Amino acid sequence: MIDVNNIYKKFGNLQVLKGVTCKIEKGEKVVIIGPSGSGKSTLLRCMNLLETPTYGEVWMEGRLLTPIDPYLHFDVIRKSKTYNAMMLAAKNADPAAAEEALDASVIAEIKAKDLLKKREGKEFAGAIKTLYKENFQDINQARMKMGMVFQHFNLFPHLTVLQNMTIAPIKLKKVPPEEAKEKAMELLKRVGLEDKATVYPATLSGGQKQRIAIVRALAMEPDVMLFDEPTSALDPEMVGEVLSVMVDLAKEGMTMIVVTHEMGFAREVATKVLFMDDGIIKEENEPKEFFAHPKDERLKEFLSKVL
Amino acid sequence: MTYVGQGLVNTLLITLIAAVLGLVLGFIVAVVKIAAEHNKWMKIPAAICNVYTTIFRGTPVALQLFIMVFAIFAIPGFKPYAAILTFGINSGAYVSESIRAGILSVDKGQMEAGRALGFSWLQTMVKIILPQAVKNIIPAIGNELIALLKETSIIGWVGSTPGSLTFDLNAAADVIFKNMANYLASGIIVGCCYLVIVYIMVFIFKYIERRLRASDRR
Ligand SMILES: Nc1ncnc2c1ncn2[C@@H]1O[C@H](COP(=O)(O)OP(=O)(O)OP(=O)(O)O)[C@@H](O)[C@H]1O
Ligand SMILES: [Mg+2]
Repeated sequence: MIDVNNIYKKFGNLQVLKGVTCKIEKGEKVVIIGPSGSGKSTLLRCMNLLETPTYGEVWMEGRLLTPIDPYLHFDVIRKSKTYNAMMLAAKNADPAAAEEALDASVIAEIKAKDLLKKREGKEFAGAIKTLYKENFQDINQARMKMGMVFQHFNLFPHLTVLQNMTIAPIKLKKVPPEEAKEKAMELLKRVGLEDKATVYPATLSGGQKQRIAIVRALAMEPDVMLFDEPTSALDPEMVGEVLSVMVDLAKEGMTMIVVTHEMGFAREVATKVLFMDDGIIKEENEPKEFFAHPKDERLKEFLSKVL
Repeated sequence: MTYVGQGLVNTLLITLIAAVLGLVLGFIVAVVKIAAEHNKWMKIPAAICNVYTTIFRGTPVALQLFIMVFAIFAIPGFKPYAAILTFGINSGAYVSESIRAGILSVDKGQMEAGRALGFSWLQTMVKIILPQAVKNIIPAIGNELIALLKETSIIGWVGSTPGSLTFDLNAAADVIFKNMANYLASGIIVGCCYLVIVYIMVFIFKYIERRLRASDRR
């Protein structure tokens, strides 16, 4: 469903993601944990392109969301001026060597040293353009299928709860307003907030706001839901009501990617837990094994602190 | 007294046209500048907008009026329009900064939430950000319009005779003085006119503000 392929993300001089690859299948519930500043939010935000990765690609259901990363396509690299010049030099240096061996070593060197320049000739540019044209997906279309829930809710304060939930389906999916309303009321009932339909977000508690934020995303009928620390901004007594909505959602079979510090949720709901540290995924396992027998030293240290 | 009436109408007309021009211009400039922060195609238009706001906020409006009327638009019969244009463009430079500040004061999470739902940048701007920004923008715009109203009083410098569009309240004061030979009296009459207009404007903007805040608390 979502394919994250070797993404790097730099903010100014700060390298936050340093080559993250992960595959999320339909129906999976992936929980991402890790220390503060390890890049969890950045990874999640790269998945729906709220941040554009510096290198690497994100694919969703076989469609490309990011620009093409030439380093991931060897036949594109082979069209570059740099590659051709290096191949020529290598062949001259060692005329007896096999073509494939030279090709492999040149490509490895280009990748390792990041040798591709801004301009690599017409052929290279053409290859990238073709590849992009064949595969790209309009990001706004893609996001309609990816719900996102933020730590700070981000409800629209100038709209009522119902309007918060119906604005996107009505404007983007052209759902008739009446139908969108009905659907929203159903969702509100599911999270026990049908009596809040006509109020403005300012009057809600944190837990209620987050439940509304979840159903606002669900109103678009997404294929996958991204959660970025959905309970971190809540008072402790409100964490449970939000988690229970998420547990229900998981039971219904929603594909979920959740950044959280709620280890209980990870144990209970996750099909896979990722440990991020220092911009990479250090460990990845199904929850039982992950918590019972962590292998990475940093993970052991981290778990000893949070459990 | 017909002079005052004529001056009043012209002052209001000049201010109104300049204000509309300023608002439209200011709005476009503000959005272009903000769009440039994430869209590389807007970088050059934004640079142009920056030059524009720098020049028009950085020099006296009297000088701008002088250059526009006597150099750039030195076309016979075009004087009043060149003058109004100047006020509008000058006002746009200030208005754009107010609008920009108002837009930037909206929480960044709002744009992210809009985008995450699938709205384009422009859609989010129009449907989510601007409706929230208006509350912060309106008071500043009100101040700007009041300043504009008073600023237009220099339009007489480009020459005005009764009957022409440049014959505003201030110019009327001159003529009245010639008739009454009393600076103080003519000044007070015209000053009161300005005061009343400003007071009405303040009242209207207070009302709009109150309405906007009301929808906030519900
Ligand atoms: N837009 C940005 N500009 C500059 N630096 C950023 C930006 N976003 C994140 N960072 C930096 O990137 C690093 C990783 O941030 P990220 O939010 O991904 O961490 P995190 O794992 O989610 O941490 P936390 O648990 O605190 O939320 C941090 O040092 C942060 O300061
Ligand atoms: Mg985070």
